[in-house]
Formats: sequence, structure tokens, C-alpha cells
Amino acid sequence: MRHPPNPPVIDGPPPAERSASAPEPVGARRKEPQTLTPGRPVPHTTRQPPLPTVVVRPTAARREALEGLSLDLSWHRPPERAPPPDRSPLRPVHVVMVGWEFPPFHSGGLGVHCYEIVRELTALGHRVTFLTPFPGPFQDGSGAEFRTPSEPRRAGVGPTEAYAPGSQFWTGDGVPTVERYNEWVGSLPDPGQVDLVHVHDWFGTVGATTLARRLHVPLVMTVHSTEYDRSLGQPTPEILQREAFGIGSADRVIAVSRHLKQQLVERYFAAPDKVRVIYNAVRPASRADPKLAPAQPMVLYLGRLAAMKGIETFLRAAALVAPIAPRALFVVAGDGPEYPRLLTLAAHLGIADRVLFLGRVSEDERESLLARATVFILPSVVEPFGIAALEAMAAGVPTILSKTSGVAEVTENVFTVDFWDIDEFASRIAELLAYPALRRTMGELGREDATRHGWAERARETTGVYREMLARRSGRHP
Amino acid sequence: MKIVLYLHLHQPWRLARYRYVDVGSGQTYVDRERNLAIFRRIAEQSYRPAFLRLRRMLEEDPGFRLSLSVTGPWIEQAREAAPDLLPALAAMVHTGHVSIVGETYYHSLAFLLPAPELQEEVAMHRAVVRQEFGTQPRVLRMTELAYSDDLARFAAEQHFSGMLAEGWDGTLQGRPPTRVYTSAAAPSVALLLRHYPLSDDVGFRFSSREWKEYPLTAEKYVGWISRLDGDVVNLFLDFETFGEHHAPSTGILDFLQALPTHVRSYPHLGWATVEEAIELPKFGELSAPRTTTWADQNRDLGAWLGNDLQRSAFETAKSVGEIVRRSHDPDLLDIWRQLLTSDHFYYMYLGGHGADLGVHQYFSAYGSPYDAYATYMNALTDLRQRALRAPAAGEKGSTA
Repeated sequence: MRHPPNPPVIDGPPPAERSASAPEPVGARRKEPQTLTPGRPVPHTTRQPPLPTVVVRPTAARREALEGLSLDLSWHRPPERAPPPDRSPLRPVHVVMVGWEFPPFHSGGLGVHCYEIVRELTALGHRVTFLTPFPGPFQDGSGAEFRTPSEPRRAGVGPTEAYAPGSQFWTGDGVPTVERYNEWVGSLPDPGQVDLVHVHDWFGTVGATTLARRLHVPLVMTVHSTEYDRSLGQPTPEILQREAFGIGSADRVIAVSRHLKQQLVERYFAAPDKVRVIYNAVRPASRADPKLAPAQPMVLYLGRLAAMKGIETFLRAAALVAPIAPRALFVVAGDGPEYPRLLTLAAHLGIADRVLFLGRVSEDERESLLARATVFILPSVVEPFGIAALEAMAAGVPTILSKTSGVAEVTENVFTVDFWDIDEFASRIAELLAYPALRRTMGELGREDATRHGWAERARETTGVYREMLARRSGRHP
Repeated sequence: MKIVLYLHLHQPWRLARYRYVDVGSGQTYVDRERNLAIFRRIAEQSYRPAFLRLRRMLEEDPGFRLSLSVTGPWIEQAREAAPDLLPALAAMVHTGHVSIVGETYYHSLAFLLPAPELQEEVAMHRAVVRQEFGTQPRVLRMTELAYSDDLARFAAEQHFSGMLAEGWDGTLQGRPPTRVYTSAAAPSVALLLRHYPLSDDVGFRFSSREWKEYPLTAEKYVGWISRLDGDVVNLFLDFETFGEHHAPSTGILDFLQALPTHVRSYPHLGWATVEEAIELPKFGELSAPRTTTWADQNRDLGAWLGNDLQRSAFETAKSVGEIVRRSHDPDLLDIWRQLLTSDHFYYMYLGGHGADLGVHQYFSAYGSPYDAYATYMNALTDLRQRALRAPAAGEKGSTA
């Protein structure tokens, strides 16, 4: 007979223990409309290196479980590593990168990714011309040469104000903006000595394709997320078309996780050989000062308040944890369309006084949140990667992910939960609050995982993709 | 030269996922059905076919000897999942050519707990062995083949005449594992030391195609043994080596059955049970101030208590044990002792990284070491609550 559960109350971060420090998240992208031109046939000649084989030795094995597990280890495939093993430096190349967000004009992982990858590429000696509709000034240190439609030479493309936050793009009706951006990209005068065009996500795929063909250079596309995922299965057709067009016309596609690659293959019919997986990375975080460990444990979500992020699940789990962890504070940092609904939900669940909605936070605030958080949670329904979780791990914060998160492919030192399993999320939160050794171990090993591969390595992996493209090209044009 | 073949029979009661929000719900910690299903599968693949071969070997070769250890949880699961196994075992024991080795009932880490826990668990095991097989073990093995001077003294106090230990170079200090020694701490206790290279050839390497000796035939293997110097070669293995760690299709059962034939072709080779082997001439004394086990590179307790999670779980188990003992509730005591089974701690092993961890997880009953730890701790949290609520809680009479 089952009695009503009666888990013991967790009194703050267990005594004698310190809570870990915290992470931060980033949001998703917005959407846009489209016009399309037909793609050219896609060549696929290169091979993906085989996945490493896990050799099972009965070593420490002994009697153990042996359970129903036959000898099938396919469920535990090691994380996909850098694509081409060729490590020799690529001769300096000139890449025209067709972006959209770039810090400080960004709301999510895309902007962070572009900044970091450009910074590392230029550090390796490559030249990057970065195209963005935003007017600048941009965050220092990337080493990119920026071109924006606001340049006098681009006169006629339209007022740059259109791209500024608060403009019609940001309010949802962004079609003319994206169209104009693509027209501008497509008609960009040859910047000179261009080796490749590299486009991020769907925004500039049409213009980037036109530009690459005009300059007779290969086109690389990085996909950070798909419209299916961002819209939770109700894609905006114009965006979907631009996305599919880019994936079809690019000579090589980079996906930020295996999970995403799978989608590109299954839903966008990308040839598997044409898609490389290159994960995101984070900069090593400064270690939180343990003296700042809070008397009040904090469970943190940091990212956009979008439906795909599954924040409702977090709130419902928080409602279960709240009575057994009376001192815990649940923090939701970020803004987005879900805000009003989530606020109402918290009230409805009776935890309005336990949940803190911080709205959009600055970089500094992110950092201090991560330094202070006890547990980080990313309960996304869909999460192609999830840089925020990686940042949390880098800050040593034990992290709970939904099983669908791409970041779960690069670490085993997290809890993963089915995105719909509220009880399980609640239990994982409670366990991390209740057991210091668990927090400490997961925090430390998670930190190692998150910082093992930095952006520099991801940039080298990216140049590996460039190299493949250029090798083919030089074959064609001696 | 005597060959001692000693096989260890054990299956843990693995815990079901027990969530923090379930604490206090009355849900049991163990998923019986799942454990029994695993047991039935292993019985099918290993226990039944290997028992059959061993019985034939005993029948066909009057010189063949075998030693077995059987844990309490194994016996409990066998009773429910494969009731034919226990009579089959008893029949083998009744040939007089099979010895049963003593140990803790729960295959537990009780040797790390304050007295009288270890003594009680060893006594429980003695009782079940007497009941099932009608014998009284004279040789003791500790969980995971743990051995130290303190354990040798314990064995002497409990009137055991011998103990099994790992033939680890650190203990032997250059002396061969093919001799019988006595404990420096307890001279009445003879020591049989596992010949780990030859044991692991069968246990770990037998079916490995990358091994340069692959395929290993009984003829080749007995040939190696015949060339050893000494009085005894101790081959200590998990029973599941035969049919489970190595599937029957690898030829492991045929290898086993062919051993006596090849042993007979060397006049100087023969078999011995552990109880016969401890009567061989002693070659000197061994001291072991530090606990050794048969696991991993370091032969220490690292696989069970090497990381923070494991130590925290064990410390918590210890403190809950004091409360449980004070409750004087035999059911709670039994549950608590089940939680001391070493396997629970092994599942929390973090290993190295990447593929290493994957290998360990493959053998784990849980999704990850964190999962194993959280589940275990939640069970302990619940058990503590139950013990505190038990009528006798807080009364005097604690033995802990």
C-alpha cells in the first residue's frame, strides 16, 4: 500500500557543505520570412570519421548488473569529436560570414557563437568579413571586419533603424527586413580575395548563396537550431523555406549536435556525409568564491522565456520541491513571449513568493547569478545545443538537462530527465539540494567536461571543414 | 602442485529508482521482479549449464575438486527465480569434493563497520550454509576478496582456519603466490593467494580476440600451470565467468569441462578444495597492514569507496545503521544490511572519463553513478525516517 509521500525537509544547503556556483543560459532565435531561389545540386564527397568504438572489457565488471543489457553499447556512444583529424594549419583564408546577431545585438547562443568563433578564427590568422544587419558598434575583440547595410555605400537598402531592437523586426513582422538584408548580402561588392562564404542559420541563406555563386566560392552553413524546434512543430513556412534552401545549397553544413544533425538528415534530407558536428563551447568561467555560497539555495533557469524551453515544467517541479526545501529560491532569468503565462502559472501553483522573475539580465548579472546558483536547470522540450547549460557547468554548477539537449552529448556529469517528467525534475532538484557530495562531484566533473574543449578547438574544427572545401575547389581550379 | 578452483556466486538486490519525492511513500527500495528477471536470465545462460558441466566433472573425475561461495542475496533470489539451483548445488556439495567458503551473508562492506556487525553477518551466512548444504565453512573470504591483518585476526576469533586473499605483489613482497602462507597477525589462519594472471586469463581475457594467446585451450592453459613452481595455484573467479561474462558460444564451458582431462595428463598436477589446500605445508608468514581486494589496478577499496559519492553514501549508511540498530526492528535491520552490499557502492564508481565511465555504466544497474548515488541516498533517507518512527527508537540498547 502506498502512503502519501512525505519526503524530509531539506534545510537549505546542507550544513557543512557549500553550494556550487552558477551558470547562465541564452535564448533562441526569432523568425523571419522568405523568398527562395532554387538550390544547386549538392556534392558530397567527404566521409565522416567513424565513431570511436567502446571496448568493453569485463575488467572491473565482475558480477554486477549484467542486467538485461546484452552486449549492445549503442546507447552509450561517446561524444562525437572533432571532425577531420587533419591538424596542420590551414593557410590563412578570407571568410565572408553572413550572420545576423552579433554582440551586443543578440538574444541567444547564436550571437555568442558568432563572436567566439570569429575571434578564434582571426586569432588563427584568418580574415573574417562579418555581415550583419545591425548597426554596431559591436563588442570589441572579435577581430572581424564588419559590413552592415548602414554603410554609406549600401545606401538604398533601407534605414538601419529597422534592425534595431523595438523595430518591426523585433515585434514580429520582420519580412521586409530579412528580404532587404538578403538583397544587400547578395549584391555585396566583392570584398576581394574571398575563399569561402559561411552563413549562420536561416536569416541570410538566400543572399549568402547568391554571393557565394557570384564569387565562385564554396558555401558553408552552420545550423544552430531548426524552425521545427523553435516553433515546437508549427513552423513558419517562410522561415522553413529559407532554412531548407540554405541546407540544400550549402556545400557543407555544420550542426551543433548529433541530435541536430539527425534532424537535418531526416527532416531536411541533408546527405549525412555533408553534415559535420561541431559542438559549442564556453570560455572558462572564473571560479565562484565559495565564501559567497548562499545561505539560501538557488535553483536557476537562465535563458529566453520561449515555449521550447520548457520553463513551465520547471515551475511545476518547483511547486513540488518548494514545500520540502522551504529555504530554496527558484529564479527565472530572461525574457520572452512566455513571461505573462509563466507569471500567472507561478501564482496559480501557489509559489509566486518562491519564484523570482528577473527579466533580461546583463552579462555581469549573468555571471553573478551563475556564481551564486546552487542548481541549474534547462528543461527544454527542444534544445539543439544549450550553451547556457555549458556555461553553468563551466561555473561549477550542477546541472539538470532534458534528455533532448544537445549539450547532453558532451557530458555525462549531469542529470538528464525526460522533458515531460515533472516528478523526476523535482526529485533531481531535491536530491541536489539535499546531498552536498552530489553537488560537489557533479559540479567539479561537469566543470571539467565543459571546459575541456574551448572555442579555439571549435574554431580549428571549423577550419577543418574549410580545408575540405578548399581542397576540393583547388582540385577543380588548378 | 594442487589446483584450487574457487568460484563465487553472488547477485545483489539492485535498487529500483527511488525518487526523493517518494521518500515516505512506503514504496520498497528493491525492484524484486527486475532482479529476479536478471537472475533467471543468468541462470539460463550460466548457472544451469555450468552446474551441469561441473557435476559431470565431479562424476567423471574422482580427483576433481571445487570450492564455492554463495551469498545470502544469491540464495534468496535463487529460491524465487530458479528453485532448481539450490538442490543442484547441495548435490554437488554432498559429493564431498566441493567446499563452501564462508563470508558475510549480504556480500557487504560490514568489515568496515564497528563490531559486532561483521560477526553477525558472518554468523548469518554460516547459518544459511548449514541450512542449505549442511556444512560448516572453515575458510573465510571477505567481500571483494578484501584482506588485511585485522581481518585475519577476525577470522581466527571466529574459528576459521584459512582465508582467501589477492596474490598481490605488494603483499607477497617478491614471494610466489603458489605457496600457502600463514597470517603474521593470526598464525592459526592459513592464506591462499589468488594467482591473478592465470585467473584473469580466464576471467577477463578468454574471449578477447585481441589477446595474443587467443584462443585459449584447456590444453595450453593446463600446460602453463604445469610449468609453475610451488604447491598450489589458486584460480579464483566469479561464477558468471562461465556463460555470462563469456557467452557459451565462446567455448568457455567446454574449456571448463576439458580441464580435468588435461590435468590428469600431468602426474604432478592435482586438484584441491580450499579446505584441503590450507593443510599444505606453510611457506612463511605474510603481513598485510593495508586492506587489499581483487579489484582494479590498485587492488584497494577504490572501486567502492574511492570517490566522494561513495564515501558520503557509506558514512550516511553508517550513521543510519546506528539509528536502525536502536530501533530493534529486524525488518529494518535486514533492509539496512541489504544496503551495505558492496555492489551499491560499486555503481557509484566514477572511473575516469569518457569511454571508461561508459564501460562502468554498462555494468551498472543505473543510468549513471549520480543516479545510483541519489537512489541509494533517497532509500537511506527513507530508512532513517522509518527507524526514527519505529517504537523502540531512541531507547537505550544501541550496540553500534
